[in-house]
Amino acid sequence: MAERNLEQLEKIREVVSQDLLSGRIELLLGWEKGHYWWQSRPLFARSKDDLAKLTWDSFCAVNLSRYLLEELKDHQKVGVLVKGCDSRAFNRLLQDNMVERDRVVLYGLPCPGILDYKLLAAEAGPELKGIAEENGKIVLKTASGEVEVKRDQFLMAKCRECLYPDPVVYDQMLLEPQGKKEAPERFKAVDELETLTPEERFAYWEKELSRCLRCYACRQACPYCSCRECFVEQENPRWQGRAYQPSENFLFHLVRAYHGAGRCIDCGECQRACPVDIPLQELNRKLIKDINELYGDYEAGLDAELEPPLLTYRPDDPAAFSEK
Amino acid sequence: MSTALNDKTTGYEPLIVAFCCNWCSYAGGDLAGTSRMSYPANVRVIRVPCCGRMNPMFVLRAFQRGADGVLVAGCHPGDCHYSTGNYHGRRRLSAFKRLVEFAGFEPERFEVRWISSSEGDKFAEEMEQMTAKIKALGPNRKMRDARWQSVT
Ligand code: SF4
Ligand code: SF4
Ligand code: FES
Repeated sequence: MAERNLEQLEKIREVVSQDLLSGRIELLLGWEKGHYWWQSRPLFARSKDDLAKLTWDSFCAVNLSRYLLEELKDHQKVGVLVKGCDSRAFNRLLQDNMVERDRVVLYGLPCPGILDYKLLAAEAGPELKGIAEENGKIVLKTASGEVEVKRDQFLMAKCRECLYPDPVVYDQMLLEPQGKKEAPERFKAVDELETLTPEERFAYWEKELSRCLRCYACRQACPYCSCRECFVEQENPRWQGRAYQPSENFLFHLVRAYHGAGRCIDCGECQRACPVDIPLQELNRKLIKDINELYGDYEAGLDAELEPPLLTYRPDDPAAFSEK
Repeated sequence: MSTALNDKTTGYEPLIVAFCCNWCSYAGGDLAGTSRMSYPANVRVIRVPCCGRMNPMFVLRAFQRGADGVLVAGCHPGDCHYSTGNYHGRRRLSAFKRLVEFAGFEPERFEVRWISSSEGDKFAEEMEQMTAKIKALGPNRKMRDARWQSVT
C-alpha cells in the first residue's frame, strides 16, 4: 500500500539480481515490507527468489550500512542499497577500518526523504489504511475517503534536516541524483537550549533522559558505534552502572554522544531507533556545532579521506576553557 | 573523600578533583609543596601520565562520586612531554566542556588549566581560585550517584 515508484523498483531489482546471479555479490542488503504497510525492514537477499520481496518506498528508513559489520563475517562480497545517509555511514565504517572497500558493492539511491508514520496518522486519524504518492503529493487513504496532502510536511525530522540526500560514495548510481539540500533548522533546537540557564537545561535533560530504558537500541543502530566492546558492557572498569537513576542516565548519554564527537554523520538513526523518543540528535548536533565552530567546518562521512577533527590539531587552536 | 566536608551543618567545603599531568602540573604541585606555599585542602590531586590520557569518563565519575568541581591541568601547549598529548587534549576537552555545559553543568564546574613544573605559584593560585569559585557556587548535586549521597 505504499509503493512509491514501481518503475524505480524494477530497475533496482534488475541490476541487483544480475549481480547476485553472476556472483558479483553473494548477498544484497535491501528493504522488504515489514508487518505494517508503513514499515520497511532490512532484507537479506541471497537469491532471485529473495529479491521478489525487495521494496523501495517512502519507509525505507533503516540505515543498511550498519549491517555490514555482521554480514561481512559470513560473506566475501556484499551489495548494499545506499541512500545519502547509508552512504555516509559506509564512509564512517571505512574510516574506522571496520569494512574493506573492495568487498562491498554500493548501489546509490538518491533519497526523496522518508515519511513519518506518526505525522501521517496524526493528519488522517487512526483509520489510515495506506497511501499513494505522485509528484510530491501524498494521497492518504482512509475508510471515509481520500485526502491529498503535500509530501514535504510529512517527512521524518531527520530527513527534513538532511543536507546530502544523494549517495556520496557508490559503485553504481541507480536513480537520478537531486543535488544538495538546505537545512536551515538543523541546529535550531540546540540554539534554543543554549539560551536556557544551566538549571533549566539540566531539568530538561533530566526529564528527557528519565525515560531511557537503557535498551541500547540507539547504539545498535549507530554507524559510529562499531566498537567490539562498548563501555556500557565493559566489566573492568565497570563504567556504566545498571541502576535506574539520573546519574547513570547522564553518564550513558554524555559518553555515547561524546564518542561521536567529530564522527557522527547526523543520520538520526539513534533517535529513530529509540522507543521512547529521546532527542538524541540534540546531543549529537551540539557536538557537531561546537566542533565546527571551534575547529572549522567538517561534515563526517562526506569524504573518507579527510581527517576527523578530533584526530588532529593545530598548534594555534582555540579552546573552550577560560585559559586558551 | 570525606563526606563530612560536604555537610551543610558543619559549614560547606567543596570537594575539587584535580587531574594533573605527571610531567608538568603534578610537578608544579610538588614545587608548590616544597616551596611551602599553601593551597586549599579541598583539592584532591589525581596524577595522570598526560592530559592526553584524560578519559572524559574520569570527569563524569568524579561528579558521580562527590566532586563539586573538576580541574584538568596539563603542560602548556607546545610543552607536552609526549609532544602532542595536550594539543589533542585541548580539542577533546573543549568539545567535552561544551557538552557538559549543554547538559546543565555550570561552566565553573569543569575547567582546564596549563601549569608547568616551574609554576608552583600558579598551581597554588589556580587551586585557590577554583576552590573559591566552587564555594561561591555551592554543592554540586548534578549527576551525583544516589547511593553516594546516602553515605553520611
Ligand atoms: S557508545 Fe561508545 S563505546 Fe559504545 S559502541 Fe558507541 S562508540 Fe563504542
Ligand atoms: S534507544 Fe532510547 S531508551 Fe534505548 S538506550 Fe537509547 S536513548 Fe535509551
Ligand atoms: S605530558 Fe603534560 S600534557 Fe602531555
